[in-house]
Amino acid sequence: MNQLPITVKKRKNRGDGAWGYAFIAVALVVYALFTAYPVASAFIISFQKYKPLGSTFIGWENYAETFQDSLFWKSLRNTVVYTVLTVPVGLLISFSIAILILPLKKFLQTTFKAIYYLPAVASGVTLSVVWLWIYDPLPAGILNQVVHFFGGSNQNWLGASATAMFSLVLMSWLSSHGTAIIIYLAALLGIDDSYYEAADLDGATFLQKIWHIVIPCLKPTTLFLFVTGIIGSFQVFQNAFLMTGGGPDNATTMVGLLIFNNAFKYFEFGEAAAQSLILAVIIAGISLIQFKFLGKDVEY
Amino acid sequence: MALYKNTGNPARRISRNAAIGVLLLIFALATLFPIYFMVISSFGDPVEAGAMNYTLWPGKFTLDSYKFFFNYSKYSFRWLLNSLVVAGSVMVFNVVFASMAGFAFSKLRFRGRNVLFAVLLCAMMIPYQVTQVPLYILVVNTFDMENTYGALILPGIVTVYNIFLAKQFMSSIPSEILESAKIDGCNQFQIYTKLILPLSKTVLAVMAILTFMESWNTFFWPLLVTNSMEMQTIQVGLKNFRFANTTYFGPMMAGATIAALPMFILFFSLQRYFLEGVTVGAVKG
Amino acid sequence: MKRKLRVLASIMALTLSVTSLAACGSSKGDSSPSPSGSASASGSAAPSGEKDTITALLPPVSPTYQDNFAQMEKEFNALYPNLTLKIEPASWEDMSQKLDTQVNAGSPPDIAFIGSGGIAKYVDQGMLMDITDSVTPDMVSDFDPLPLEYMKNGNSLYGLPAYMEVHAIGGNKQFLEQAGIDWKKVQQEGWTYEQFREAIKKGVVTENGKKRYGFVFATAGVASRDYLTILVKNAGMPDPFTSDLKYAYTSKNYLEVLKAVRQMIDDGSMPKELSSVDAGKRWNMFLTGQTMITGKGLAVFENSAKKNNAKIDANDGSAVKDSIKVDYVVLPVPSFLGQPPVSSTVVDGYVTFRGKKEPTAEHKANVVKAAYFLASGKVAATTNNDLFAAHITKSAKEAAKSMTIDRNPDNIAAVDVMLSHAAKPRPDIPTDKAAQAIKLEDEVIIPKLQALLANEIKPEAMYEAVKAAAIKAFGEDGVVKD
Repeated sequence: MNQLPITVKKRKNRGDGAWGYAFIAVALVVYALFTAYPVASAFIISFQKYKPLGSTFIGWENYAETFQDSLFWKSLRNTVVYTVLTVPVGLLISFSIAILILPLKKFLQTTFKAIYYLPAVASGVTLSVVWLWIYDPLPAGILNQVVHFFGGSNQNWLGASATAMFSLVLMSWLSSHGTAIIIYLAALLGIDDSYYEAADLDGATFLQKIWHIVIPCLKPTTLFLFVTGIIGSFQVFQNAFLMTGGGPDNATTMVGLLIFNNAFKYFEFGEAAAQSLILAVIIAGISLIQFKFLGKDVEY
Repeated sequence: MALYKNTGNPARRISRNAAIGVLLLIFALATLFPIYFMVISSFGDPVEAGAMNYTLWPGKFTLDSYKFFFNYSKYSFRWLLNSLVVAGSVMVFNVVFASMAGFAFSKLRFRGRNVLFAVLLCAMMIPYQVTQVPLYILVVNTFDMENTYGALILPGIVTVYNIFLAKQFMSSIPSEILESAKIDGCNQFQIYTKLILPLSKTVLAVMAILTFMESWNTFFWPLLVTNSMEMQTIQVGLKNFRFANTTYFGPMMAGATIAALPMFILFFSLQRYFLEGVTVGAVKG
Repeated sequence: MKRKLRVLASIMALTLSVTSLAACGSSKGDSSPSPSGSASASGSAAPSGEKDTITALLPPVSPTYQDNFAQMEKEFNALYPNLTLKIEPASWEDMSQKLDTQVNAGSPPDIAFIGSGGIAKYVDQGMLMDITDSVTPDMVSDFDPLPLEYMKNGNSLYGLPAYMEVHAIGGNKQFLEQAGIDWKKVQQEGWTYEQFREAIKKGVVTENGKKRYGFVFATAGVASRDYLTILVKNAGMPDPFTSDLKYAYTSKNYLEVLKAVRQMIDDGSMPKELSSVDAGKRWNMFLTGQTMITGKGLAVFENSAKKNNAKIDANDGSAVKDSIKVDYVVLPVPSFLGQPPVSSTVVDGYVTFRGKKEPTAEHKANVVKAAYFLASGKVAATTNNDLFAAHITKSAKEAAKSMTIDRNPDNIAAVDVMLSHAAKPRPDIPTDKAAQAIKLEDEVIIPKLQALLANEIKPEAMYEAVKAAAIKAFGEDGVVKD
């Protein structure tokens, strides 16, 4: 009855081959057509000076230009800063909230889940209008009024290099947990009570149960959220695009925005393709490290 | 939920829950504020955005913005319907195909499994800004599917994100159960339908919600592949509406509020499934 | 030739430009399109020809513009029974990204409504259709020469202009008079930066604990481009390139303008948070009496102000909160260092595109007919009246005679004065240089300007950064040295 899955012995299955391919067939076809093919095109384009009426092959030039571009390095640094500040903290917030929601009555659980999920429902464009107002730089601005209340001085939130990045991070902390909370809660509800019962018998405290049962059991979930969070964060572009346009002084220009600008503003489609492939390699590298460290005892 | 001890006296439990409630409420208020503003603005006058009153409480309540929205175009309902068709199909396809693939990647052993999965994951890492032009050329110029539901639905019928999500959840289902089913003579398809699907209700409900929401909120792709008002989705339609009247803030917020409603209905109707939880404990020791 | 209009797309709405559009806003059309307006003057002979469809990607040019699409399609078809005009609506913000995806895929619409500044970029891509040989002399003579010149690149014509607007600044009449500024004289004769600086200093007033600034210009995010562009035009640099094609912004005058930008903030005449004041915000400040002068200003703002005044009179809670009645006065931008005033003008119009296949002469002629139909006569008259913009075709002037419009005559005169020294178009600038200048502006000038406005760098530092980037892009000999 109380057999723990962690102790389940991995057994080599035989004869799954045909079944395995059958189960992934549709996914593979869709992937090949709508993802692999465009990516392959992008790969080819990255070696071209792209023109709709006939591109010319220019070898590694797009890559060379990217590596010499100081703005590319600056945007990469900004992206890393943004990711480091948003993803781990964001996961911690989501995890804590999911844990806090757990003991509540069903009705309250649903209500809180719905509330935290709400910002994801509304379109980002609409919400950014509101956030612009919150960050109003004049003393009448909402956040500035809050700061005044606590005795601080007026801040030019999105307009000053010192606070612009922080403002985007704060926005992410307060408005993008819905998905992670729901996924965490679903995973929490999936943990079998028998673990807790066993722990209770041993007289474990609340924190011990979190540490020894919840965190290990949620490892696949955390890994998933972490990897997808970092991938998303590295590609982030909308908030910077809508709220600061990358400014001031490129303090919030991130790689996603730079690629977008190259592709659409300057028609440097080849360079944009090269930059996104470089970005993809970086993300892939980071993901690999995450799998290595976080995924050590997760079964694949 | 036995993570929290229920053995203590009731008074302590109530005060503990109250404390948690207050904490959650404070965070909820901060989260809700922008939404609150969106909703109250939708009850304001259909005024110009530049002339917007940024107040916490509107000067007056009126449904004019909603009327403005629905009177704007004869296609307002059609847009909602299109979105429903597209997001609904994308949701169903994803739940089916991603759960199948997730099952295969987590529980079946076949040659090239890990390599294939890694290849799939890599796709998530390419920024979409660059794949979008090749994809557009493929769907519109090569397949000639412009302005069809096919063009709106097909590229999204199974996403790597969902396969990944399904795989991660299913990998925590003990292989024991599957083994015993196999011994009972079930083939893999039966294992999938009889065991995996019921045990994965939670994650599939989550996947359904997230996929529907994602598809519902997609703007860029539908805008690319539609070229007539009657094929547009609500997000595209909203923008037509919004910028045809560049300056109207209230109706834009009204439209956003309307667009958010179906998501909420879906959320509450699938809620049941992930409150039930997965009964992994069904393993017979 | 069957073509589908390919609507493109853009995920993101530039909120900044949303609000800036909002401020250029206007509203439910007051100037009701008069059905009696004369039909397009082009209608010459009933053409016999094969059936053809012309696609057009059009944004909401004026508040009522998109409402008239069905009517426009019908009238065009009545005029040319063998031709079908298929109009695809798009938002302003999505326009460029929509168009760019279509262009990159090699299948743009026949006609798109864009700013003349974008022509060079599409010429560089080889996707514009040269209509120099397809326009008839009748069509050409209908247009004012200057705006038509803006649609050229090199010696080729790539579209027909819809309007020419002046980017100016606008003042609150009552506050201007309180500060002792003879606004009528300024409207007629212009002013120098020194006069302007004094004027906006006098405009700073604190009443009932509320501070009123002398001047507020929307500079948040990408809007900062407008601010500097408008100023440098009046400092002897009407274009990024001099007439001998050297990059102009390395001139000492540029540094002087940058110093002035800082000065006006340091004087206290402009808010120190200027760097994040967006278009919506400053218009709100203008209507609520928090600034005497605002920018950028378009003629149509007069209408927006009037509307709010009417709402204040109606007292039904619909007026902007805390707003006061305002008489909007069009004002010219001050000139720097004794340089002649040059108005920043914007010419937008119907630009003609080509697909992967070489267009036939017949299709070309049909596209031109459609572009001319949209850019002249009744369509143009209605649209420009909606925008309070001047008419630039004889046929539109004719058609507009039957339409009424309520504008302040002083403002009309002021706009006319500014149009008389409008910046000259520069079709001679090679497309690759133009593209480099745009990139330099986006990646160096605007970011540094944002930092300058936020008081994070000195004008000299910004000037040096621009100079270094310009020399890198254009070489030591490719830039102005004085």
